[in-house]
Amino acid sequence: MDIDAQRLTRRYGALAALDGLSLEVERVKVLALIGPSGGGKSTLLRVLGGLEGADEGEVSINGTVLSADERQLLAWRRRNGFLFQQFNLFPHLTARRNITLPLEKVHGRTAAEAERVADESLERFGLTAHGHKLPAQLSGGQQQRVGLARAIASGPEILILDEPTSALDPEMTAEVLELIGELAAGGQDIILSTHEMGFARAVAGHVAFIAAGKVAEHGPSGELFAAPKEEMTRRFLSKVMRFA
Amino acid sequence: MARRSERAPLGLDLLLGLVLAAMVCALFWWVFSNLDTAWGWSRAWDFRQSLWRGWLVTLELSAGALAGSCVVAGLLVAGQRTRYRSLRWFSRAFVELVRGMPLLTLVLIGYYVVFAQSQVAGLLDRFGVGSKLWTGAALLSVFTGAYLSEILRGGLESIPQGQIDSARAVGFDRFQVFRWVVMPQALRRVLPALAGQFVSLVKDSSLLSVIGVQEFTAQARAFNSATYGGIEAFLPLAAGYLLLTLPLAGVAHAMERHFRYQM
Ligand SMILES: Nc1ncnc2c1ncn2[C@@H]1O[C@H](COP(=O)(O)OP(=O)(O)OP(=O)(O)O)[C@@H](O)[C@H]1O
Ligand SMILES: [Mg+2]
Repeated sequence: MDIDAQRLTRRYGALAALDGLSLEVERVKVLALIGPSGGGKSTLLRVLGGLEGADEGEVSINGTVLSADERQLLAWRRRNGFLFQQFNLFPHLTARRNITLPLEKVHGRTAAEAERVADESLERFGLTAHGHKLPAQLSGGQQQRVGLARAIASGPEILILDEPTSALDPEMTAEVLELIGELAAGGQDIILSTHEMGFARAVAGHVAFIAAGKVAEHGPSGELFAAPKEEMTRRFLSKVMRFA
Repeated sequence: MARRSERAPLGLDLLLGLVLAAMVCALFWWVFSNLDTAWGWSRAWDFRQSLWRGWLVTLELSAGALAGSCVVAGLLVAGQRTRYRSLRWFSRAFVELVRGMPLLTLVLIGYYVVFAQSQVAGLLDRFGVGSKLWTGAALLSVFTGAYLSEILRGGLESIPQGQIDSARAVGFDRFQVFRWVVMPQALRRVLPALAGQFVSLVKDSSLLSVIGVQEFTAQARAFNSATYGGIEAFLPLAAGYLLLTLPLAGVAHAMERHFRYQM
């Protein structure tokens, strides 16, 4: 995928969560956003995914220019899949219905088609036995796997993941990361934010370090992790990798 | 719902049930044995037709106001959630004014200041909705609608932003977010409060006799003053209202079970 973001600004009151952020990457399969908490990773993902518009600046992805027009953003959201840190699933619907409902209502599939797709993706993620359960009856890891199954069920152009494992314990983290790794290996375009540096290094082809609402530095993950150019990046990496 | 392991021991439970039943029976026996009047059920029987008519009027009033209050509540909720500040303030003020007034005051003012005006009455008559029954149902709809709107608004606002984000993220448009994600969860949360409000509505309809609607309570009072029969008028009255309110509560409980899910 190609991303061209120019001088993006997104303000919350007086605070600029994105502060003139620019990022140009081409032909990247998996892009990881790393950086300190509050740096603007989630905000950038929300803008890239069309959940909200930027106050200033321009962004185009794979040639599609994202405007501030809600109708256009809706059309863009429908082309992509999302997974957030938590509270992804609709608690009043079973795991299976969580997957079939958007397929029917958003993507115009018939009920039978939607069920077939849902059952396939549940099986693929080892969740066949859990399809009839409500989210509250699933473990955190199972919930995120259902969330992932729902996000990819419509065949998204880009899969956007915002710290998909940070609410999980290490074992559940591993099972979710493994699935994301498989999707990446299968050729799915992914943009994700993560605090799992080992995972970012292993799976992402490209990494952007984001702090204070700007891209401090970005590059192929091998280079960025091996030889960070910026002092800020070096300090961040040495801090978070100390125990890795 | 109590889990099995949390259930009380069966023997104690039965004993407690028996004691409670005995207490209720004793109370009734005491009350009725102290009534010195002789039963006069034949008088009640003579009045059965006007009581029946009154009950039907109450049923019609309640059904009409139930539907009407939902419409009023829907408008007030929409009014309080729109982008237009003027409309929000208007709706807010409307809700607070109506909730701040006793129903009796609202009914009297509504009737004598608005509906009984000759132009208004004439206009309503032209559309065939000029009767006191329609007026009463409209006033009751406004009153209950204000309360319902607050219950609904509270329910809608209790749905976390994360749910709305998720719903937008799967590609739902504004209406779909509401229809498939916000509303079902909000409805489940407010169902008990809604049911309570509907039960209140049925009982509140008895106040409409002050503008001359010949509903159930009015008929029972007329019967009472015509025959000096006290309890024979009020027992059918109690039974008649319960006949309306208990099924309402039953439907609400059935709906709660239908919409049940663990949060
Ligand atoms: N809805 C909001 N309202 C107000 N401020 C917000 C909102 N969303 C984000 N912010 C602020 O914007 C800044 C960037 O937040 P963001 O969530 O993008 O950071 P992040 O890099 O994702 O952090 P983390 O790693 O902790 O998830 C933070 O200072 C945050 O407090
Ligand atoms: Mg974040």
